[in-house]
Amino acid sequence: MALVALVLAPIPWLGYRYVKDMEAVLREGQEQALVGTARAVATALHDRPELLELRPGLAASGEVERILRSLGRADLRIWIIDRQERLLAITGDLRKKVNPEPPAGDALDVLARSLRPVTAHLLERPTEDFDDALPESQISGAGEVRSALQGMAGRRWRNSTDSRAVILSAAHPIWSGEEVVGAVVVEETTNAIRSLSDRTLEKVAAVTLLVFALGALVLLAFASRLSLRLRRLRDEAEQAIDSQGRVKKLIAGSSSGDELGDLSRSFSTALERLAQYNAYLEKLGGRLSHELRTPVTVVRSSLENLKMAALPDEARIYTERASEGLARLDAILTRMSEATRLESLVRESQRERFDAREVLRGCVSGYAAVFPDVKFALSLPDRPVWLRGAPDLYAQMLDKLAANAADFSSRDEPVRIRLDEKGALTVSNSGPLLPAEMPGRLFESMVSVRPEGSRPPSTPHLGLGLYMVRLIAQFHGGSVRAANREDGSGVVMRVDCPVSS
Amino acid sequence: MAKTVAIVEDDPAIRANYADLLRKHGYQVSAFADRSSALAAFRSRLPDLALLDIGLVGEPDGGFALCRELRALSAAVPIIFLTARDSDFDVISGLRMGADDYLTKDAGIPHLLARISALFRRADLVREAPAEEEILERGELRLDMKRFLASWKAQPVDLTLTEFWLVHGVARFPGHVKNREQLMKEAHIVVDDSTITSHVKRIRRKFQAVDPSFAAIDTVYGLGYRWNN
Repeated sequence: MALVALVLAPIPWLGYRYVKDMEAVLREGQEQALVGTARAVATALHDRPELLELRPGLAASGEVERILRSLGRADLRIWIIDRQERLLAITGDLRKKVNPEPPAGDALDVLARSLRPVTAHLLERPTEDFDDALPESQISGAGEVRSALQGMAGRRWRNSTDSRAVILSAAHPIWSGEEVVGAVVVEETTNAIRSLSDRTLEKVAAVTLLVFALGALVLLAFASRLSLRLRRLRDEAEQAIDSQGRVKKLIAGSSSGDELGDLSRSFSTALERLAQYNAYLEKLGGRLSHELRTPVTVVRSSLENLKMAALPDEARIYTERASEGLARLDAILTRMSEATRLESLVRESQRERFDAREVLRGCVSGYAAVFPDVKFALSLPDRPVWLRGAPDLYAQMLDKLAANAADFSSRDEPVRIRLDEKGALTVSNSGPLLPAEMPGRLFESMVSVRPEGSRPPSTPHLGLGLYMVRLIAQFHGGSVRAANREDGSGVVMRVDCPVSS
Repeated sequence: MAKTVAIVEDDPAIRANYADLLRKHGYQVSAFADRSSALAAFRSRLPDLALLDIGLVGEPDGGFALCRELRALSAAVPIIFLTARDSDFDVISGLRMGADDYLTKDAGIPHLLARISALFRRADLVREAPAEEEILERGELRLDMKRFLASWKAQPVDLTLTEFWLVHGVARFPGHVKNREQLMKEAHIVVDDSTITSHVKRIRRKFQAVDPSFAAIDTVYGLGYRWNN
């Protein structure tokens, strides 16, 4: 804004300079006119010394008055003195009688006038209310009067006695033959010029204000557009990455050519690369398992060949150990590719409407066989809970949650599985609490917070189970959260899936 | 006379190991590393059964093309895909090319041998008139246990060997829930839960192609599958 003000500042300055120049020209003209008038009066009185004879007690003769009136103008004051600096005649009045302002011509005039309360502080308006007395010093001592009495025309600017107006006076000698018999002095205020220049300055101020206002409006519009776009970009950037650090959606790079468009495009590119990297990480497991399959197959088929050969007993022990290791490796590979396969399954699955209660009932009744030493307590609402998704996948999600809860359960109370009418599923088990450092990351691929030695080494744990829970929850339009129980006795996993109406 | 099994596999160690294993089980084996040499050999003499990898030397999808070419040479030769790839897409592509079954490499030799002998048995029985029949009937379902042929409402349903075994596993005791582990054992496969789900989905689709109202295989969530008469 200040910058624009700086750019616009020359406008009033130039206007002011121009008005002042014009004023100077007008004053010059006024001087010339006054001097001309004085000369005309003086010429009319030339060689008529009788008119100038002082007759004490009498006003100037009618003749002189007539001449003065015929040559003078309104607003002019003309007076005549003789050599003894005695005032012989005086006519006219410096004050304007009536000075009706011209009617407003155009919109600019109207604006200029409406701004008068403001501009009045800056511009000193000429007033007609000044002291127009003709001081003694002016008659006897003023330079131009004296030079006129000596035969030289003169002129002078002076202030009125109360300094409220500037008065221009021009004096011209009256010749009678070769002798100066008196002087004509013509006086006029500069009020006419000043009011003209004031009006012009008012207009300049109005124009300046108008330009400022327009500039401010344009700037405001531009700035709010910029800030709107910045805000939108910020919102998009904030929404692009969720609390778990995953790229949820890409920013659509703006197509505008300015720096903001550039910024949004580079944001979009950066997010895209981040998303690609995340996708690469999530696929890493699947790709690794795929790449490892071939060497594992070599080992397996070699072992199978060995088993068919006649081997010494000692060698048989080692082939058996190798087989055990291979089985473990197989389990790892299967788990790794399971997550990948689930990803593609989730991508391709059709959504249908199903009652989550039925899935839960079936699953939980099956857990008695799968986890013989863990008890499960199921609580379901009375009315059906309709979800949109795939019941197979929902069951698989519950399997993972149940397996996770069973692993961590302290076994002194049942694992509680609860579904409410709004589709919120909670699986809660007593046991060790979640470590504080990674509550959000639990559901990422290959993240496990199990303490060392909490599981037998033969069942590898890759941290894929809860990642699969997240995938399936997202497929159902839901989200998943892990938290400690409020009383600190265990852990609650919560899956919120929207109910389909 | 020993049956000939052709192995087309790009990894030399796996190729040699499988060849040795099959020889030890009494088959005559010819092994190839790429598509052109295998195809040349098939043209001069058809094998009794072919084991194909999908990725071959220089051709990531060479196995699919080879399967199609072999199928063009003979409609009867049993073809098994044996591969490291296990995505649904690969399985479907492989079976669409005319393969009889699809096995991942981590299946192990016993599962492979079960398939090979089953497919040979079927090939033999198709050629000769069966001396005796072993039929399992469950309502509209009819399973020919010797030829591994399935039909629904007297219309044939084209199942792979794995799918046939899965259907048999579920249908043998109607009303009983079979969990995934039991089904894997029936079908001689070792896979994860998602793969079983995909298999069952594919089986349902094949039956529904014959009869859109087919709903005999029930999913019991969390437990497994059940045949519904």
